[in-house]
Amino acid sequence: MSQSLAFKKLLNGLKSEASEVRGNPVLGWTCTYLPLEILDAAGLSSYRILPETSSERADAYLDPNFCPFIKASLGKVLEGEYSFLSGIVMLNTCDGMRRLYDAWRFYCHPPFSFLLDLPRIVTSSSIAFFREGLVDLIGKIERHFGVTVTKDGLASAIEEANRTRALIRRLFSSQGRGDPPLRHSDILDILAEGWTNQRKVFNKALDHFLAKLEVDSSVVSRGPKLMVTGSLLDGSLLIRLIEELGGEVVASDLCIGERFLDGVILGSDPVLSLSKAYLEKAPCARMYDTERRILHLKHELDKTKAGGVIYFALKFCDPYLYEAPAAEEALRRIGVPTLFIEGEYTGRISGGTRTRVQAFLEILGRDAG
Amino acid sequence: MRDKETRVKLLRWLIHSPTTYRVLRPIVDLQNIRENTAYRIWVRFLLDILRKAYAHKRPVIWMNSFLPIEIVYGVGAVPFLPEVMASLVGYMGWGEYPIAQADARISTDLCSFYRCAFGLALEGFLPRPNLIISSSHLCDGANKLFHYFSQICGCPHLMLDPPYSESPSTHQYMTDQLKDLVEKTCGLLRLPLDQDRISVVLNLSNQTRQYLVKINELRRAVPSPFPGSEGLSYLAGMNFYSIGSGWGLRFFRSLHDDIEKKVANKKGYLFEEKHRLLWLHHVRPYYKNEIFQILAERKAAVSFEESNYLYWPPLDPAQPWKSMVDKILSNIWAGPLERRMKAIEEMVENYSIDGVIHFSHWGCRQSCGGAAVIGDWLKERGVPYIVLPGDCMDPNNYSPGQTRTRLEAFIEMLE
Repeated sequence: MSQSLAFKKLLNGLKSEASEVRGNPVLGWTCTYLPLEILDAAGLSSYRILPETSSERADAYLDPNFCPFIKASLGKVLEGEYSFLSGIVMLNTCDGMRRLYDAWRFYCHPPFSFLLDLPRIVTSSSIAFFREGLVDLIGKIERHFGVTVTKDGLASAIEEANRTRALIRRLFSSQGRGDPPLRHSDILDILAEGWTNQRKVFNKALDHFLAKLEVDSSVVSRGPKLMVTGSLLDGSLLIRLIEELGGEVVASDLCIGERFLDGVILGSDPVLSLSKAYLEKAPCARMYDTERRILHLKHELDKTKAGGVIYFALKFCDPYLYEAPAAEEALRRIGVPTLFIEGEYTGRISGGTRTRVQAFLEILGRDAG
Repeated sequence: MRDKETRVKLLRWLIHSPTTYRVLRPIVDLQNIRENTAYRIWVRFLLDILRKAYAHKRPVIWMNSFLPIEIVYGVGAVPFLPEVMASLVGYMGWGEYPIAQADARISTDLCSFYRCAFGLALEGFLPRPNLIISSSHLCDGANKLFHYFSQICGCPHLMLDPPYSESPSTHQYMTDQLKDLVEKTCGLLRLPLDQDRISVVLNLSNQTRQYLVKINELRRAVPSPFPGSEGLSYLAGMNFYSIGSGWGLRFFRSLHDDIEKKVANKKGYLFEEKHRLLWLHHVRPYYKNEIFQILAERKAAVSFEESNYLYWPPLDPAQPWKSMVDKILSNIWAGPLERRMKAIEEMVENYSIDGVIHFSHWGCRQSCGGAAVIGDWLKERGVPYIVLPGDCMDPNNYSPGQTRTRLEAFIEMLE
């Protein structure tokens, strides 16, 4: 049994033991720049919109040249897959997300909808502005759901979320341990469980899982070490493919991976603390500063000793597609081989991608040898 | 191959020489002798701005189309709009070469205006910028590509980041950003921050705006006095590029006088007008195509186009930053889709519209992403609507047969 399956089994066991009943409203969300601590403090459940497969239902509603993740999401919304949600909180992440928010409201009339303005720049004034948006979100949640978000409640939620981040950091540093060894793809599958399960149960499961893992000896992989960066992946398929072909993913700069593992430093104003921490986290391509992203990639490469980078952009994902040439050039300048893949969101890997990844690994293996 | 390289080198040299534009002016004046005065002013304006941009006697600022151009005129620099230049290149039928150059570096699924501008920049056809400024409020491409341009050209990039929604804190946040951007611009380019000059520019902008108000009023006339195809070309170009300059005022005054005469004489741009259409999206295909000819054959006039919808209030020279922020934040294509829908409703009513065409330009997510919602919402109101997919710059994404079939079916529906 793979490590991710073992984790799922453990999590399910803890869920059935948990005394808390999940009857509270569930809010759907799409972007990891949303501080989930706010929903936790409001006593709401959160559910990440990550449809598993593409949906043709959205074809009549969005252009053929539209982000396949957005299309899959809208398709599932129209098919009623998210009818259990009590509302949605989205961010102005990209053009596609803004239009998904419009279409969701127009066609499905969610009982609660909120678009949180996310600045692209990180300055004291943008941190203050983002804080205002968070305060507005809190106010609207309180009024709509009849709940109260207190300062203490937020502080506890931040502490619990920091605990999740600390456990995930330990999980990443345990890669290679256990029998079978914990792979990067397992870790991403484990993280995906966190998007839909209660934080406390998820934390408990992680704690137990890590305790069990750490007694086993570590296994050293000999394959070429790689970093994967880019848009949202459809699950851990690409990472699994790399592993199957003999490579070892040692870092994933992805919004389903390692982008936000530093804790939120709690100050006297918890909302300001959240605003600062979320804006200052490792940026995605949607943010203004390409150089900051490249610096982050270089830092991760140094830290993990990865010998190559796979830069993945979903088709029609403008932030990553426009950024790709600058990132590739910067990595080439420091001698890091980079493979650019423009991919779909279909739940499968194309033959072309498989061949390209295989060739890339061969090149990396040869260079390393 | 060698011949082609030599031709490209020669073309690059000619484009970079300010003399080219001095020599061209009397030639194109003569060529355009039968055109209306406004059109002639547009051509002269372009030659003038290109001459200044390549002469480099004053700092050159590249910017994206939806930033208020008054910022650049206000600091006394020369504005250069790569997107507008790309559309001109497409109009001249020269788009294929720069697009092919760009396609070797970036995805072919990106906006072809940006791909063309990128190709032109890579090939060294564009004037060297001293500074690049852009605003992220309309599309994702503007932020990333203009930033990359700054790396290619080795100059600083400043960005405005307008929020999606409006609130009192939004205005303050934006005003701080804009003030900071202008101060940094002046610092980087060693230009004085001259409040009097800014006031002059805002006054010019307001006078021009008044003509735009009147032009849009006149265009309500039946039959349609001014072709939408031209509204989507040089009129939109001047709207982006000239407001706040003397050229802009002359252009819009002249266009107003011309349209006023046509309206007084009840003269439409079509021989016979049976249907009145609204064109959505600020652009149209600029290479040779049959779209407007097909519509004309079926007596369908493009009476108005949303690119010339006047969305911003008059500017207050006493509060320049706040005014320009108001202009940015009132943009109907930014923010929630409802803002655009409200404007469309107003246009449908004001211009007695029988049907609406949404031109879905390949690679433009911000506009095309709303096409279905807008269509369903218009249909609920009994307004016929069609989405016309295509590409404004890349003829490879244009299908003449399909375009004709769709347009003819739409006109039949109107009949």
